[in-house]
Amino acid sequence: MSNEHTSKAFDTDLQDLTSKVSEMGGLAERVIADAIQALTRRDADLAKRVVQTDPAIDALQQDIEEKAILTIARRQPMAVDLREIVAALRVSNDLERIGDLAKNIGKRVSALEGDFYPNKLLRGVEHMASLVLGQLKQVLDAYAGRDLDSALAVWKGDEEIDAMCTSLFRELLTYMMEDPRNITFCIHLMFCAKNIERMGDHATNIAETVHYMIEGRPIADQRPKGDTTAFAKAAMT
Amino acid sequence: MNLATATTTVPAVAHAPIDTAGLTERISIRGLNFYYGDHRALKDITLPLYASQVTAFIGPSGCGKSTLLRILNRMYDLYPNQRAEGHVTLDGEDILSPKQDVNLLRARIGMVFQKPTPFPMSIYENIAFGIRLYEKLSRHELDERVESALRRAALWDEVKDKLGANGLSLSGGQQQRLCIARTVAVRPEVILFDEPCSALDPISTAKIEELIDALKAEYTIVIVTHNMQQAARVSDFTAFMYLGELIEFDTTSKMFTAPGDRRTQDYITGRFG
Amino acid sequence: MNKLYAARRRKNSVTMALSLAATLLGLGWLVLILGVLLYEGFSGLSLRVFTEMTPPPGAAGGLLNAIMGSLVLTGLAVLIGTPIGILAGTYMAEYGRHDRLTSVVRFVNDILLSAPSIVIGLFIYEVMVYPMGHFSGWAGAVALAVIVVPVVVRTTEDMLTLVPDSLREAAASIGLPRSLMITRIAYRAAKAGMVTGVLLAVARISGETAPLLFTALNNQFWNSNLNAPMSSLPVVIFQFALSPYKDWQALAWTGALIITFAVLALSIVARTLTASRKQP
Repeated sequence: MSNEHTSKAFDTDLQDLTSKVSEMGGLAERVIADAIQALTRRDADLAKRVVQTDPAIDALQQDIEEKAILTIARRQPMAVDLREIVAALRVSNDLERIGDLAKNIGKRVSALEGDFYPNKLLRGVEHMASLVLGQLKQVLDAYAGRDLDSALAVWKGDEEIDAMCTSLFRELLTYMMEDPRNITFCIHLMFCAKNIERMGDHATNIAETVHYMIEGRPIADQRPKGDTTAFAKAAMT
Repeated sequence: MNLATATTTVPAVAHAPIDTAGLTERISIRGLNFYYGDHRALKDITLPLYASQVTAFIGPSGCGKSTLLRILNRMYDLYPNQRAEGHVTLDGEDILSPKQDVNLLRARIGMVFQKPTPFPMSIYENIAFGIRLYEKLSRHELDERVESALRRAALWDEVKDKLGANGLSLSGGQQQRLCIARTVAVRPEVILFDEPCSALDPISTAKIEELIDALKAEYTIVIVTHNMQQAARVSDFTAFMYLGELIEFDTTSKMFTAPGDRRTQDYITGRFG
Repeated sequence: MNKLYAARRRKNSVTMALSLAATLLGLGWLVLILGVLLYEGFSGLSLRVFTEMTPPPGAAGGLLNAIMGSLVLTGLAVLIGTPIGILAGTYMAEYGRHDRLTSVVRFVNDILLSAPSIVIGLFIYEVMVYPMGHFSGWAGAVALAVIVVPVVVRTTEDMLTLVPDSLREAAASIGLPRSLMITRIAYRAAKAGMVTGVLLAVARISGETAPLLFTALNNQFWNSNLNAPMSSLPVVIFQFALSPYKDWQALAWTGALIITFAVLALSIVARTLTASRKQP
């Protein structure tokens, strides 16, 4: 916002919300990175820390929600202000879900503790995770910097992640058929991959929110419909 | 002067095209300028006002929104050195024409003012007075008309036992509803509200807003308000004016969530001055 | 306490003492006048005052012809002056509010309002009494009407100006023509104030002596002919008070008492009306 409200306290309220969302975003990024690292290194301590961070993210989300509701009640925001507050609510919601998904990965790591598995199984998941992490970073930057183009790029990038998820599933299926001893691990990995894919979806949601916040209307095209994974098909039958 | 006003073209101000399907343009304002002496208070206003819709005029003080409203029933005629140029038509009939009978026009376009203005007479007479101007009714018919007007203004239950009491003995909110009843009693086609709630408490305000909502099915309603939340609550269309110009005209839902013009956005979000 | 504040306090008490003294002085005279008036007036007050004519010196009598004369003259003056005043005031407040004519009329009216009443008496003597060849009740009534007009013009204009424009606009907004708006709405809203104006005018003329001396003169006897000289309380008081006869002087005091109470009653009515206007 280049110019300020007549009521300076309103500006402070909005800035406060945005910075809280950014803080939450930073926490979400870290928790994803940690979860993946815990998974690849099968680091139970790190996994535990990931699980323990989740309440902090939840608390932040609640805080943002309260602040947003209070601001709506007190200021009766209109137009861009209203959209900004709604965006903060939605983004914090997505981030909270991302936190939950990371926690889920962390829990799976704890369950796998002690067993040995070939590292090649992990490579695909790792790659996908780094892609999603990049997406999330970019969309959070777009949110903080009100960058429409950047948000649109993230929105379009989701297709790639979905495609990667599908191929990863195929790959993991192959490993399971190769050696049935891999099945437990691979199924956990599949869930992790699914979690990561969902994180990507949340990043896309955030991109849409950023677009709405800036433009005041939803993205015109159809949202890239991602979920064509074998896993989803399998789950449906 | 018969203009090609049937075409429902919307004015050339910033907005996405409005879906005008199913809407009738009751009042058309085209290229309207207004002068207080030498001061040009309205600049080239072009605006449609749709039947059975509530249109709100918003904008900072002195932007000309009240001036625009008062052109619609030629209220400015009461004062010297004020003149309007351009075209304003009501169902195709030129309002600004010198041949236009102002009193008949005002019977068709009623107005409710900022401060409640009951006439210094009884509640009953306040309503009956306007009716008698245009119609010769029997006592019984008149009673019915007064009752129905008071009912429409949601005031009947509060005053039915004291119709003989002075209109000024009512509370501010009741007085304002009495004024609305008085306006409705004359059976206008258009009702203009000039900041009707600015002197009222929130409960009375809510009642008036409820009333506007109930009346809009039958009337074309225009409301000038300083209260943007009120504009957002009661209106279907909103016109934002600034320094005598119409900056933006659009559906209210668009105006208050995603206005097209920067100045509109600055105003409705409280970033002005 | 600092010096400046002490000085300010001193100044304040001095000013207050001076103001109080001035007030007491003014009120003192008023009390004195009223006291003497009540004492002297009441001692001569009897039923006879209202039932008998003014007597010749040394005889018993009352003030009936003077009281009736005053009532007739005042009534006529109000009947003549009020419509003129109200119409003029209405023009100034409603039709010609922004006209040059209005400011000219207002200026002239203000001069008339403060014109010495003896000048008005003299004027009517010139234009009515002299051409007619004799003093008359008509001339007296017209002279008093000339005093009534500016008072009524002023109050009518003021009271109509006080009627808020929003009420006029409200009347116009239901399509009321201006003439109806004035007669049915504005007059009604300003009614109390306008009546007050008329009452004040009545109070003012009921004590006037000077214009009547030149016009209605006086009459010792009962007279209902407006073309003949007519008696009135102020003139009788003037004449009797200056006379050397004790009983005439007593009657003059009684007459003064009657006028005073009549004016007092009018003022009270006027004030009540004004108050009721503020509190509808």
